[in-house]
Amino acid sequence: MNDILPRLSLCVESGKVNQAAAYPPKMKGQPGADELCREAIAAGVPPAQILEEGLVSGMARIGERFSQGKAFVPEMLLAARAMTAAMAHLRPFFTSGEVKRRGVFVVGTVAGDLHDIGKNIVAMMVEGAGWEVVDLGVDVKAERFLAEIEKHPGCVVGLSALLTTTMVNMEKIVADIRARHPALNVFVGGAPVNQEFCKRIGASFYSPDPQGVVERLKTLAA
Amino acid sequence: MITSRERLERVLLRKTADRIPVDMGATSVTGVHVRVVEQLRRATGLPYQPVKVIEPYQMLGEVDEQLCDALGIDVVGLWARKTMFGFENQSWREFRTFWGQVVLVPDGFQTTLDQNGDLLIYPEGDRNAAPSGRMPKASFFFDTIVRQEPLDEAHLDPQDNLEEFAPYSQEDLAHWSRAVARYRQTSSRGLIGSIGGTALGDIAMVPGPWMKRPRGVRDIAEWYMTLVARPDYVHAIFEKQTEMALANLEAAHRVIGDALQAVFLCGTDFGTQDSQFCSVDTFQELFLPYYRRMNDWIHRHTSWKVFKHSCGAVEPLIESFIEAGFDILNPVQVNAAGMDPRHLKERFGSRLVFWGGGVDTQKVLPFGTPEEVEAHVVRQCEVLGRDGGFVFNTVHNIQANVPVENVMAMVRGIRRANGS
Repeated sequence: MNDILPRLSLCVESGKVNQAAAYPPKMKGQPGADELCREAIAAGVPPAQILEEGLVSGMARIGERFSQGKAFVPEMLLAARAMTAAMAHLRPFFTSGEVKRRGVFVVGTVAGDLHDIGKNIVAMMVEGAGWEVVDLGVDVKAERFLAEIEKHPGCVVGLSALLTTTMVNMEKIVADIRARHPALNVFVGGAPVNQEFCKRIGASFYSPDPQGVVERLKTLAA
Repeated sequence: MITSRERLERVLLRKTADRIPVDMGATSVTGVHVRVVEQLRRATGLPYQPVKVIEPYQMLGEVDEQLCDALGIDVVGLWARKTMFGFENQSWREFRTFWGQVVLVPDGFQTTLDQNGDLLIYPEGDRNAAPSGRMPKASFFFDTIVRQEPLDEAHLDPQDNLEEFAPYSQEDLAHWSRAVARYRQTSSRGLIGSIGGTALGDIAMVPGPWMKRPRGVRDIAEWYMTLVARPDYVHAIFEKQTEMALANLEAAHRVIGDALQAVFLCGTDFGTQDSQFCSVDTFQELFLPYYRRMNDWIHRHTSWKVFKHSCGAVEPLIESFIEAGFDILNPVQVNAAGMDPRHLKERFGSRLVFWGGGVDTQKVLPFGTPEEVEAHVVRQCEVLGRDGGFVFNTVHNIQANVPVENVMAMVRGIRRANGS
């Protein structure tokens, strides 16, 4: 039983969702993130410890491998799926307040843009790092972001754009947020976005990869 | 003076020509947004006419003979009979876009507005089917609406993902036959063909936007995970698809013949901005054998050169693209990680033709000054055009927000690089 959290962590990192899942082949027939998380709760392991040593650590390792070019989008998606399966068992403890999240991350792809793979990976990584994620989806207008910011004072906002044609909408949304919340942390990302653009439009932070977002959030929550 | 076709021919053999040949509009990945096409017509003094949307998914405009002449374009395209939304490009009528432009669309371009005011488009132009594309009000083109039916892991059948890979119809073959006859009579430009059905797991095609009820794995994230988690399923699809593609290539070659100089075989993107969608090992194991069979057939039986499109940072995969038998790389995303054109030219230039990379389209073309664009284009042409083997094209399509002054500066840059 002592090794349950390292095993859970390995399942998350490897994308082993549950016992029935055939992937990865080398873990076939073994319990997955779903079963191990349930087992850990039943064994009385504190949920905060499960989150930290089972989920967060697994997502951090896959995130690092992704940043190093040793894991790719499919492996990230599979890890996130395993993480989500485990997270489902922890939700009641978030609701009851027994486990505290590190903060709220409001994320969305900007107006006019329907691309969401990158945004989803960031959302999953941030959730896997212990934050509550409010995912507003794609084609999100400034009003929608502003409404969520009102609901979650002190949240961090993440904007994604994949197109040069929608970067202009990102700029407008940042300006609208800044007009009401000059000090709010607004992160930007997406293929055509870079540090220079981030600075020019008055956003707080740019990262070319999801792990960079997680690292930055750690400094804010610390 | 040599013709545009001869110019392309030389460059495809990685020889130098009198000047760098130019493509702007010959394929769905080397095209121009309809808004910019209209502006280019005005900028070059051509008479006003509503521009035809020849590729509705990305709203690409027709670059016709007049505009080809005005801009010095050397390559034209042979297109498939049906568009990404499954209707034919015929029976044109006027349509007003969100950005206020009157364009021409085919009759099959059937749309409605949803409650948000977004434009929905329907497969095969059938408004009784579920819509398969959405253009948000703030956007300039469509994206696919994913219509993923619930997946039953125990009963996954590769056949469901194979529905779209059927033998070319008599109508398809007659379409190409007519198009080639017209080309032979009227054009001295180079010719690249997009004949369809040969792309392995192209993520733009996976959701099947032309199909009324796509089955199998159709969700984008699910498909990416399938590549890793269900390799047997993917092999089964690629195996059958390749068999069909080989039969179709033979049928197409019978009617198209050597009029075609290059064939756009596959547009599957393997690169992201900084990395790849899969490892080199996965590419070698899952994709390469099937590409190899198609490319070997083409090289044995035709004079066609094979064009591979992949966005992003694909430098680690280029060696495998060459091993798979591809002759041409597009769009050469020069601002992605590891894609420095000098390095690419040095390492792969003796074995690969670069069709693209002529101007960075994430920063310079949309946001630079005309002077910056022109100087950048001259530099790119010097690097990529050295010793031949370079067809000028932007990195992917010219988008709706690109100032026409910058496109004209790009054309000036090409002319300067060509010494004219």
